[in-house]
Amino acid sequence: MQLNLFLDFINNSIKEINTDIEKLYSNKYNNMRKVLDHLNNEVLMLDNYINYFSNSNQLRISEPPELYISTIAQQVQPVINGMKTFTLEELAKYDGKDGNPAYVAVNGVVYDVTNNAAWAAATHFGLSAGKDLTNQFASCHAGANILNMLPKVGTLV
Amino acid sequence: MIGLSWEDLRCPYQENRSKTTASLVDRIKNDITNRRLQKKNLVWLELNGCSGNIISLLNGQNPDFQYLITQMTNFIYSNSLITAEGSNAIDQLFNVIGSDFILAIEGAVSLKDNGKYNIIGKKNGKAVTGLEAVNKLGEKASYVIAVGACASHGGVSAARPNPTECVGVQNILKRKVIKLPGCPCHPDWFMGTLAYILLYGEPPLDNRDRPLMFYSKTIHDRCPRRSYFDRGIFASKLGEETCMFKMGCRGPVTLIDCPVRQWNGHVNWPIGDDSPCIGCAQFGFPDAMEPFISYNITRGG
Amino acid sequence: MPERITINPVTRISGFMEIEADIASNYVVDSKTKGLMFRGFEKMLLGRSPFDAVYFTQRICGICSTAHSMASTLALENAMNFVPSEQGRYLRDIIHGCEFLQNHLRHFFQYTIPDFVKLPEEYPLFKVDHKDYRLPKNLNDKMVKDYFESLDISRSAHQMLAILGGKAPHNHGVFIGGITSQATIDKIISLKSILDDIERFINEKMIPDVYEIANYYSEYYHIGRGYGNLLSYGCFNNYQDLGTLYVNPLVYSNNTITVFNPDEITQENEYAYYDNNNEPDIQKPQAYSWIKAPRYNNVPYEVGPLARQWLSGNYRHGISVMDRTIARVFEAGKIASIIKILIQNLIPNVSVQHEYSTPVKSVGRGLIDTTRGALGHWLSIDNSKISFYQIITPSAWNLSTQTGNIKGTAEQAIIGSPVKDINAPVEIGRIIRSFDPCVSCATHVYTDGKLINSIQVV
Repeated sequence: MQLNLFLDFINNSIKEINTDIEKLYSNKYNNMRKVLDHLNNEVLMLDNYINYFSNSNQLRISEPPELYISTIAQQVQPVINGMKTFTLEELAKYDGKDGNPAYVAVNGVVYDVTNNAAWAAATHFGLSAGKDLTNQFASCHAGANILNMLPKVGTLV
Repeated sequence: MIGLSWEDLRCPYQENRSKTTASLVDRIKNDITNRRLQKKNLVWLELNGCSGNIISLLNGQNPDFQYLITQMTNFIYSNSLITAEGSNAIDQLFNVIGSDFILAIEGAVSLKDNGKYNIIGKKNGKAVTGLEAVNKLGEKASYVIAVGACASHGGVSAARPNPTECVGVQNILKRKVIKLPGCPCHPDWFMGTLAYILLYGEPPLDNRDRPLMFYSKTIHDRCPRRSYFDRGIFASKLGEETCMFKMGCRGPVTLIDCPVRQWNGHVNWPIGDDSPCIGCAQFGFPDAMEPFISYNITRGG
Repeated sequence: MPERITINPVTRISGFMEIEADIASNYVVDSKTKGLMFRGFEKMLLGRSPFDAVYFTQRICGICSTAHSMASTLALENAMNFVPSEQGRYLRDIIHGCEFLQNHLRHFFQYTIPDFVKLPEEYPLFKVDHKDYRLPKNLNDKMVKDYFESLDISRSAHQMLAILGGKAPHNHGVFIGGITSQATIDKIISLKSILDDIERFINEKMIPDVYEIANYYSEYYHIGRGYGNLLSYGCFNNYQDLGTLYVNPLVYSNNTITVFNPDEITQENEYAYYDNNNEPDIQKPQAYSWIKAPRYNNVPYEVGPLARQWLSGNYRHGISVMDRTIARVFEAGKIASIIKILIQNLIPNVSVQHEYSTPVKSVGRGLIDTTRGALGHWLSIDNSKISFYQIITPSAWNLSTQTGNIKGTAEQAIIGSPVKDINAPVEIGRIIRSFDPCVSCATHVYTDGKLINSIQVV
């Protein structure tokens, strides 16, 4: 990953995080959960950018950021119909063919891209559905906004 | 159909878009006639590719190729069309250096073995590689236009595993290269870009150096079959009139004006021919746009 | 002591080529035709989805892309054991015919005419570099006019192609089963109307023009014969109800015509830039070209319009530069009349597409005569992906390298030619252009030629 792309992505994430923080301060939003989820995702994206940049440039960070998973968030996890956990092997079945929907995992969340316009033939710029595409997403897309538009179907374990 | 022509049946919006090229070109003609403009030199360099872009250029209409060489520019060189051959031809090519010339390049630059996989001529008994020609001419041209997918980003010439290490022209040159991806490049995209350059200079480009006047919206956003997509009515084989998303259509990720401009004098276009878009005008073609045709893709609930 | 001359680039062809000729006493005593570009299509195709080959292989060539979509589709149908309907064949062959028309018009007027006709030198593109222009001014001016008018006509041939094929170059319509779209009545009448204009131009301008040139350059009836072996894989043939409209798979050699046998094709690479493993080897000592050497019964053959016109009995005047050029012009007229017959037999609104599935494991081959001659695609599918792909193009036949002491087809045609002025060897370019070279087609070759014989149709 190029340095200027990395900086662009970081900048973008910071902007998104600031927006989320503003929303939280304003106390106007009924669905705080949604803002917090987005904030959480943006921080995850930052983490992924750092990992991807350091890996692709063969740099070593003195203190690699630890993936912080909020225990409170997990406890307050609303029960959503159809939400389930997927292992990588299970995820592989969901390649969008033979009657199976097309699912992809990013940042530990599994999304349904079966009807997503950018995923014709369950493929997207050379990538196939049924896989964990966290790194690929980090290398191409700035910010978690795209993820917010995708229907969630579960988490990757 | 008697008494009606294709032109009569076009919607005014479409007609406007297709006339952009023609109106720009008319202004040039007037300016040249009124001596406000000097005819610039145009060099057309073919590199490692199929030479399909010059064939596509010959398919241009209003303006057409004759107009291009008689009214718009001094067309200096093309391997496919030039009368001279051998050293006379190659001399004509390199003699353009020192003049004010626009360089149009089609085909990718082959890097393997210092360019020896694509020799475009011999000068003074020594082979001239495509790589060398780009280096010699590229920095000296007033504008460089990469015509077609291969010159823009490697295209099919660079398809995995890229046996001859082909790259797009920008990888070779430090200066800006205007990119017209497409396989091939539509004659209007080239003519319109050239007309803009002749009149005003560099056209407004997006962040990948594609002229915004052609490459600003996805095919999906202007597709006549969009209502089928939105209602989830998908074709399960070629030859149907419904949305071909489930056949692998790359319209949603391809930024180009095919739905309004169409092809070959506006008679048809891939989706109009009941076959999906294969993303030929998008970076990443062909590898990132495959598979082109898929059956057995699941429809959503 | 022969003097060696080199022509590089050979312009007004498709792709990049060098011709080397040794001249002694104003005659060519030896020659080499060298293809100078390579991309490696056969390697690129490995691992891709078989259906994608129909679109991918078109990018081998910009002026004959339809040819590759045809051969690829036929190879896939062969591998799938699928027989298209006759309507599908008619529709597909109409698209194929349009490509013939476009190519022959452009080859005659844009590629060939500047050798014999002085175009306006105020346009730098047309600056002449020799003095052998013999046409009187009025004829020359007429041909200049036809050169420019032909631009509209060849463009309309591609427009015709796009009506059924979506776009040209690199059409979308040709596919398994026939074509993707349906021929509605309005499209059919559009095709007929454009074809009418093209046919009129061929008859009223193109054919008279080639004969005018033949009149003033009649020695070219005796230049560039070569071996005189002709070959065709057949095209516009074997229809259930219409029979053979053009030519069957036939071979002409030593005054005899025999049926063509695909198993007799071999391909050598002795003087081409490939090592024993068929990897590109640009350092190989005696190699001089990227083009291999296809052989039929170990003999070099010529393919193209002259071969077809001869084998079908339409034109048997002779084998030479001028005969090749005239045959190509005649063929344009012949193809136009064939397209007319196919259109007449169309049933409007027939849909020929189905849901196809990729075979998991299969082999197939598609052999068809196309714009420049005989074209073949051979493929293997394994695990539903392309595991092998080989292409032998007409230009590989015509521009082949030598094997042993046997020169390639075009090389042999150049040898023996007079060269009046060694500083302006116009004869050589004229000879090679009569073959309508397409080097972008000829030089993607990559894999072991011996495998052809082992590819049997299942």
